[in-house]
Amino acid sequence: MARDQGALKLDNPWPRIGWASLAGLIVISAVLGFVVLSRYQQNDQALDIWGAMCRGLGVTADRGPAAEPKPPLRTPTQIAWTSSTLDQIAAGNAQRGAFIALNCAACHGESGVSSSSLIPTLAGMDAAAMFKQLDDYRSGKRLWGVMGAMAKALSAQDSADVAAYFAAQAGGLPVLTGNRVPESGRSFRESDPAKRLVFAGDPQRGIPPCSACHGPGGFKIGAPALQGQHAAYIERQLAAFAQGIRQNDIYQQMRAAAKQLTPDEMQALAAFYGTRASTGTAEGLTSR
Amino acid sequence: MQNSSRLALYHYWVAFAVFLPAVVLGAWQMLMRSPLPAPLDDPNAYYTSVTLHGTAMAYVVTTFFAMGFGYAVTATSLGRPVRGMTAAWIGFVICLIGTLMAVVIVLSGRATVLYTFYPPLLASAWYYFGTLLLVGGSMIWVVLMIYNMAAWKRDNPGQPVPLPMFAITATALLWAWTASGVILELLGVILPRALGLTTQIDAGLARTLFSVTLHAIVYFWLMPAYIAFYTLVPQAAGGRLYSDTMGRLTFIMFLVFSLPVGMHHLFADPEHGSGFKFLQSFFTFFVALPTLLTVFSICASLEIAGRVRGGRGLLGWIPALPWKEPMVLAVALSLVMLGFGGFGGLINMSYAMNSMIHNTSWVTAHFHLIFGGAVVIMYFAIAYEMWPRITGKPLRSKALARWQLWLWFWGMMITAIPWHITGLMGEPRRVAIFDYSDPFVARMGPLAIISVIGGLILLVSAILLIVILVRSQLGERQLSTPLRYALAVNPPKHVPASLNGFALWNAILLVLMVAAYGYPIGQFLILKSSVPAYEVTRQITGAGVR
Repeated sequence: MARDQGALKLDNPWPRIGWASLAGLIVISAVLGFVVLSRYQQNDQALDIWGAMCRGLGVTADRGPAAEPKPPLRTPTQIAWTSSTLDQIAAGNAQRGAFIALNCAACHGESGVSSSSLIPTLAGMDAAAMFKQLDDYRSGKRLWGVMGAMAKALSAQDSADVAAYFAAQAGGLPVLTGNRVPESGRSFRESDPAKRLVFAGDPQRGIPPCSACHGPGGFKIGAPALQGQHAAYIERQLAAFAQGIRQNDIYQQMRAAAKQLTPDEMQALAAFYGTRASTGTAEGLTSR
Repeated sequence: MQNSSRLALYHYWVAFAVFLPAVVLGAWQMLMRSPLPAPLDDPNAYYTSVTLHGTAMAYVVTTFFAMGFGYAVTATSLGRPVRGMTAAWIGFVICLIGTLMAVVIVLSGRATVLYTFYPPLLASAWYYFGTLLLVGGSMIWVVLMIYNMAAWKRDNPGQPVPLPMFAITATALLWAWTASGVILELLGVILPRALGLTTQIDAGLARTLFSVTLHAIVYFWLMPAYIAFYTLVPQAAGGRLYSDTMGRLTFIMFLVFSLPVGMHHLFADPEHGSGFKFLQSFFTFFVALPTLLTVFSICASLEIAGRVRGGRGLLGWIPALPWKEPMVLAVALSLVMLGFGGFGGLINMSYAMNSMIHNTSWVTAHFHLIFGGAVVIMYFAIAYEMWPRITGKPLRSKALARWQLWLWFWGMMITAIPWHITGLMGEPRRVAIFDYSDPFVARMGPLAIISVIGGLILLVSAILLIVILVRSQLGERQLSTPLRYALAVNPPKHVPASLNGFALWNAILLVLMVAAYGYPIGQFLILKSSVPAYEVTRQITGAGVR
């Protein structure tokens, strides 16, 4: 401890001790903090040393806004009725669709008229409705093993083509004109409960009239017309909506309505829409 | 010399004049938090009061006391008048204006942001200007301390700087380094938003900059107490300082280690990775070194004094000490509170254990024991020691001074020990209203009431302090012995240049600060993490919302 005069000269003892301690302190603390703590106290076995040091610095791969999780059934569908979607459907090529429809014939019938009561008739169905269901099957929004596999094999253009083909087939569902049906009893005082639900709905339970979207008379894009459809199929879909098994209805409109229906009402509604069709032509529509 | 004394006395008076109302606020805050009915039962008033209490105690009392102490030490230890008296008075006035600005704005309800500012909370720009003036004005004091030490060294080449002067210069340097954080935060982040120059506020950057200040400021408060430990206590006990070199090393280590550790206040903050939090937590352990050195030195010095006074045997020197001296009594009480507070602090700074007590009243208890207890009780003792020398008017009664110290000790212990327990129970700090009908909170009720009793004892003690000082001031002037500092057992003849100045240690500290804070602060220049500010204005709500 001589009279060292240069406080910053390294050949004096105190500066040597000071700088050496400083270097040791920084090295030890950095190794402990960025290697030992970051690497060996993390439970992530896949973390390498470089990744551990970055994590110690607060730089991680998952930095930034957290990735949006995608539960398969949270959004009911990926289809929105934008003009580009409608253009895509309108551009469907029925001739090409006929070729693709060969894959559908086994279940839905050669010309789209199904012989099984649980499989919907497609002939004459609105192309937009079919396009949407195919897309929902493809994206897993509507779950049905066979249809999911079939739809995954189709591109969006294929869907539009095959939808155009079936929409153009005659002999299945009656053609919808959008005209109001004049008789029909559109009144809350209608005595037949099924008719009352179809044409007037039940405001107390929050059920809109079915006909507003599915006909007869009313029509909404993407909602299939139901006249002439198999009754058993309709009833089964209502039950699926009511139990939340089927979830691809936009804004939960079908789930909300179906939940309010009793099994008897479901049966009656299915009978209203379906039985007449089973005779070939819908009674109420022949007058037009 | 006369002028230097008046300078010191003015600083002391401001410090203690602010101290008393701040204690009143503290006592009321405890009443407010307890199940007992409190006057002016308004949560907004509570947060305003917390802001005032914190700003007054942490910035005003300490800064003025340390400045006054610094001028007194400079004049007495160097044995010549303070150089730069005009600048010193200008600094005093600037600090006073800043204090008044901040206090007026807080009282008007436009700065209820608590003393740590808590961005994105935003107060009136005048509050920040006031704080900036107070901190900035004290930089004049910093320059004067360095200038006085340098001038003395130039006039006395090769001579060791007296330990008190060396230590107060270390304090001034520490304060300059410490204050850089809050000054940068105010100038770079908060004031631009408060003035409307920017629309957002980078809360992470602001909090990181404040963390530079947040811990080291405690050591700035602590330093006058430590200087008294080393230079006044052995003298008052009638002995000698155990080692002069140990004293120098202690103050150097405080300077170096108290700064790169502030991130242990940010353990729960998301803007930093775990690496730097651990690194600074690790550095914090080294602050224990100078504290342990001090405890050893002071006990050794007291043992020397006790044996000189005739104490025999292993512990016989303890009763032989002059316990009637306020300074000797204060150091014992101070070390007890330092022990309790220090061990609590070890838990705060441990990266893992911190999560048990983060932001609970445990933390409040810790710094009240350290600062409000160990440090402030030494401020009292320093005042009792220096006041009569400065004014030439001795204390009327040393017994009253001892009463005051004992009351403060018990008041602080009764206040803080229950806080530790409620903190472990999960009671958050800085909360005005507790629903004591909730069974989870109800368990804390009796402890909160005990704290209120401690607070009232503290209030009595604070009033007693002012009474003692005013009685001395109004008394008759008598001849008094000049202030003398303790000699070391082996007074230094020659000291290595490294222990007689701060060039080496400032260089080491700079490297350490770059290592500890370079990346944590630098990352904000790349990561944009500004958020909209939340302006705190007076909210009109009915009283009695509890």
